[in-house]
Amino acid sequence: MTTSESHQQRTPTAAELEDMTPDELATLAANLDDVVVVHNQRKFPIPGTRAEKRAERAVAGWFIISALAGLAFLGSFLFWPWEYVAPGEPGYDLYALYTPVVGGMFGLCVLALGIGVIAYVKKFFPDEVSVQQRHDGASDDLARRTVMAQLAKAGKDVGIARRSLIKRSAGAAAGVMGLGLGIAAVAPLVHNPWKERENSPLWHTGWRETNGEVVYLRRDTGHPEEISLVRPEDQEAGSMETVFPFRESERGDEEALLHALRKSDNPVMLIRLRPGTHVIEREGQENFHYGDFYAFSKICTHLGCPTSLYEAQTQRILCPCHQSQFLATEHARPVFGPATRALPQLPITVNDEGYLVATSDFIEAIGPAFWERKS
Amino acid sequence: MTTTSRTAKARGPRSRFRRRVAGAVALGIGLLAVGGLYAGLVPQPQVATAAPGDTAKVAQGEELYNNSCIGCHGSNLQGVQDRGPSLIGVGEAAVWFQVSTGRMPLARQEAQAERKPTLPQFDPHTEEGLANLEALGAFVQANGGGPELPAESGELLRGPDPARGGELFRLNCASCHSATGRGNALSSGKYAPTLDPATETDIYTAMLTGPQNMPKFSDRQLTPEEKKDIIAYVKSVTNGNNNPGGNPLGGVGPVSEGLVVFIVGLAGLIGVTLWLGAKN
Ligand code: FES
Repeated sequence: MTTSESHQQRTPTAAELEDMTPDELATLAANLDDVVVVHNQRKFPIPGTRAEKRAERAVAGWFIISALAGLAFLGSFLFWPWEYVAPGEPGYDLYALYTPVVGGMFGLCVLALGIGVIAYVKKFFPDEVSVQQRHDGASDDLARRTVMAQLAKAGKDVGIARRSLIKRSAGAAAGVMGLGLGIAAVAPLVHNPWKERENSPLWHTGWRETNGEVVYLRRDTGHPEEISLVRPEDQEAGSMETVFPFRESERGDEEALLHALRKSDNPVMLIRLRPGTHVIEREGQENFHYGDFYAFSKICTHLGCPTSLYEAQTQRILCPCHQSQFLATEHARPVFGPATRALPQLPITVNDEGYLVATSDFIEAIGPAFWERKS
Repeated sequence: MTTTSRTAKARGPRSRFRRRVAGAVALGIGLLAVGGLYAGLVPQPQVATAAPGDTAKVAQGEELYNNSCIGCHGSNLQGVQDRGPSLIGVGEAAVWFQVSTGRMPLARQEAQAERKPTLPQFDPHTEEGLANLEALGAFVQANGGGPELPAESGELLRGPDPARGGELFRLNCASCHSATGRGNALSSGKYAPTLDPATETDIYTAMLTGPQNMPKFSDRQLTPEEKKDIIAYVKSVTNGNNNPGGNPLGGVGPVSEGLVVFIVGLAGLIGVTLWLGAKN
């Protein structure tokens, strides 16, 4: 059965249409789409029964719960004490309830709204089974040809073929816009990270000497503006400390101080081995340590996690991400796991004021491998 | 021009004298300051000393040592090859940490000494146990020196700023113990323990002495105030504190949470979808 046939069979005359009730019109609409309603059963055929009232109240109940929970959410969000209170301090219980209350109320608001909608559909929508015929193949020849002709005629009527100025300028506008989008999509891929050649950021870290200034080793005390420089006697044998670069010119400059603590390639593990530990130095880096002090980049050479699980007895440095292990006593070379390169070593010494300082930047790029790395 | 040169001439000899005096005073102040700073900043050498009143305690400690520890740590704290390390320099802080938490005496040689029920004679909850711990600590302190127990204990060891403690914990401790002190695996069967059962003194002495594979954190690396803030933070996130979401699911982050979401959440969603589409 094709569409045109069914149309011809069922299309009523104007007079017949006039006489039809809204119900009949709705059925006709379904029929025109080749939909046949097999079964349609109202939930409450007799209006106003007790059961219907009950169903109505249930649905309305969920909506009311949703509204009340929404109000409660607003109220608790605005007025509940949210400022941190340590456990054991007065007011901790109330503070600890802040997140559950706010989240719970908002969750209840959304949930009850959803349940209300679903309950309404389930309780009041009629049970209906309808079947719609599926049409196979393309539209018939007549329809295809008329539609094509119609489109061609529309084009001719608006005269786009003759208006070459409009055609060309519109083409230019669309083309430039497309070009712009294309460039925006491709541009990040052609960005050259090596523009600065040997000064490119991938080769260097915050430990690099700038303006001939001494780069000190500094610890993080939890207060970025507090400067605590590292002296050798600060560390016990068998200990590890994370240190960051510091220059005198940064003193008082809160932003620079915080930046030095947060820059991802800055963290260095300063390890003090026990005296007498047997150490194998890396060739060419024999003078990078100061006594028992060895400084290694904290950034894993596998994928760049912080490898800061230092085992003071086995002298291993563990990376928590994929379990690479580096041996602190052998220039932090990898002994287990997916990392293939040793952690870069920072050359350090003690200056005449007794502070640990870096004698230069790392002599190789830190962190994971990249295309241009030789080793 | 003329005025300046005249004044300069008139001032000549006197100002030279003044300069000399000023130089001498400055030098004196400088020397005093350096001396003062030296005395103030350079740490007291950790020398093994025993006050005379302690001798009885030390003797009691020696007896305890000879009964429980001598087999692995040797008669002079020097350690025994392949059995136990030297105790020179570990101090009473290490004795407290290892013995009061039951890690020592060791049950058997294995990857790492575990926390286990304390020997009854060293139970820190009994008076006798406390006295014995103190005596043993005094003996090790007297003969080997090393870090001492903090003067305070309990809640007094919690600093006023758990937020900064958290910052320091994440920098220094979280890599092994996890951000909320759940602990985690290390290499070859070793592990960083969970911090739930640790008392304030345990945490303090652990930082000071670096038990097992833990690095040491001297008082110059982490000041006592910083240590106390860290303890305040640990105490505020362990033992079920600060679980605003209800059940922490082990506190190990996305692994267990993801599993629960996948199994419970997804199953629930499928159930609801089935119910929605069902005919009634
Ligand atoms: S990032 Fe360190 S092992 Fe993968």
